Amino acid sequence: MNLSFFDQFTSPYLLGIPLILVSTMFPALLLPSTDNRWLPNRLCTLQLWLSHLITKQLMVPLNKKGHKWALILTSLMTLLLMINLLGLLPYTFTPTTQLSMNMALAFPLWFATLLTGLRNQPSTSLGHLLPEGTPTPLIPALIMIETTSLLIRPLALGVRLTANLTAGHLLIQLISTATITLLPLIPTVSLLTTLILLLLTILEVAVAMIQAYVFVLLLTLYLQENI
Amino acid sequence: VLHVTRPLHTTQQSLAPLPPLPEKGGEVRHGLIPEEFFQFLYPKTGVTGPYMLGTGLLLYLLSKEIYVVNHESIAAICILSVIIYGVKRFGSDVAAFADKLNEEKVAKASAVKNKAIKDLETAIEMEKKEQWRVEGRGYLFDAKRNNVAMVLETNYRERLLMVYNEVKKRLDYQVAMQNLKRQKEQDHMIQWVEKNVIQSITPQQQKESIAKCILDLKALSKSAQAAV
Repeated sequence: MNLSFFDQFTSPYLLGIPLILVSTMFPALLLPSTDNRWLPNRLCTLQLWLSHLITKQLMVPLNKKGHKWALILTSLMTLLLMINLLGLLPYTFTPTTQLSMNMALAFPLWFATLLTGLRNQPSTSLGHLLPEGTPTPLIPALIMIETTSLLIRPLALGVRLTANLTAGHLLIQLISTATITLLPLIPTVSLLTTLILLLLTILEVAVAMIQAYVFVLLLTLYLQENI
Repeated sequence: VLHVTRPLHTTQQSLAPLPPLPEKGGEVRHGLIPEEFFQFLYPKTGVTGPYMLGTGLLLYLLSKEIYVVNHESIAAICILSVIIYGVKRFGSDVAAFADKLNEEKVAKASAVKNKAIKDLETAIEMEKKEQWRVEGRGYLFDAKRNNVAMVLETNYRERLLMVYNEVKKRLDYQVAMQNLKRQKEQDHMIQWVEKNVIQSITPQQQKESIAKCILDLKALSKSAQAAV
């Protein structure tokens, strides 16, 4: 297997069968269903505790109508978390490195928040385009700026996730290539790069979790403005 | 076909809900390989059998370059070392945390149960105390009876006293009446006698008595003068 640096980002195929759907839905298989026991086993207890924590954290700032979004946001958070963390294992494919997938997640959800706001309270959600207390001559320019920032949100959401994960994976590949090439030549420098790689791995674990959280958190923020 | 395959169905059919997860996972050695594998190989190869198999397999894959060592391998070593470090360091803490969550749940429920039991036991004791109190009702009735008897007695004696006083008053009145009557008769008689006596003194007798008194007085004065 001669791998170039970007082979990890190609969508996987097995004998011509595209595996993209399997690789996206596979992380769900790793989370056992909680099967309604009162005292579950340890894995289910931790899973339940984590999902309760996530849901509480996301739903506290929202009003009652926003709680309809609880299921989709919590499941989105869990999906992104699992996909990101599993992608750190070697020879795995991370679906969230594909811009197509992230845009497919970000754009409809953002658009849903926008339409909810425009439908239920159009003047309030349009009023968000102008921050309070702006001096009068600045108003036209500010509205243009705010509209641009509103319309760029889905792009920002998708690209943020993609770029962070892709960059992290690429860095891991590059530094590990450097380590392995230097190993027969200058073992000391190779050792240093191994240390860097260890630190980078820890960073990547953190980034994986943070990016998933940020994605969902920003969606709740957009929802708060509009619901 | 259905009847032919029926003996092959040893467990419940797949349409039923999935059986719940067991409470504890199966035993694993080195976190990955189930214990049953070691037991499976033990009769033929002894204790070191699975380890020899693992080492041989690994060396075979490496030497024949079926598993190629490239940059991913270094990344694999790094991430696996991070994972193993994390599991070894935080594994027992996380397990204890999960157990604590379950313990809290059980403790909350059993706190409710224990409180209910305690409340019921207190109620039973209260009830027993009330039953003991009820046994003393004989004494209560006796005391009440005594009280009533005493009140009746007191009442009776008060009335007796009253009767006595009334009777005495009436008798005193009769006695006073009789006394008064006698007194009046006596006074009247004395007056009548005096009146009669005074009426009976004629003027002649009056002059004679006065002359006699004067003679007596002169005699007395002579004797008195002599005495002095």
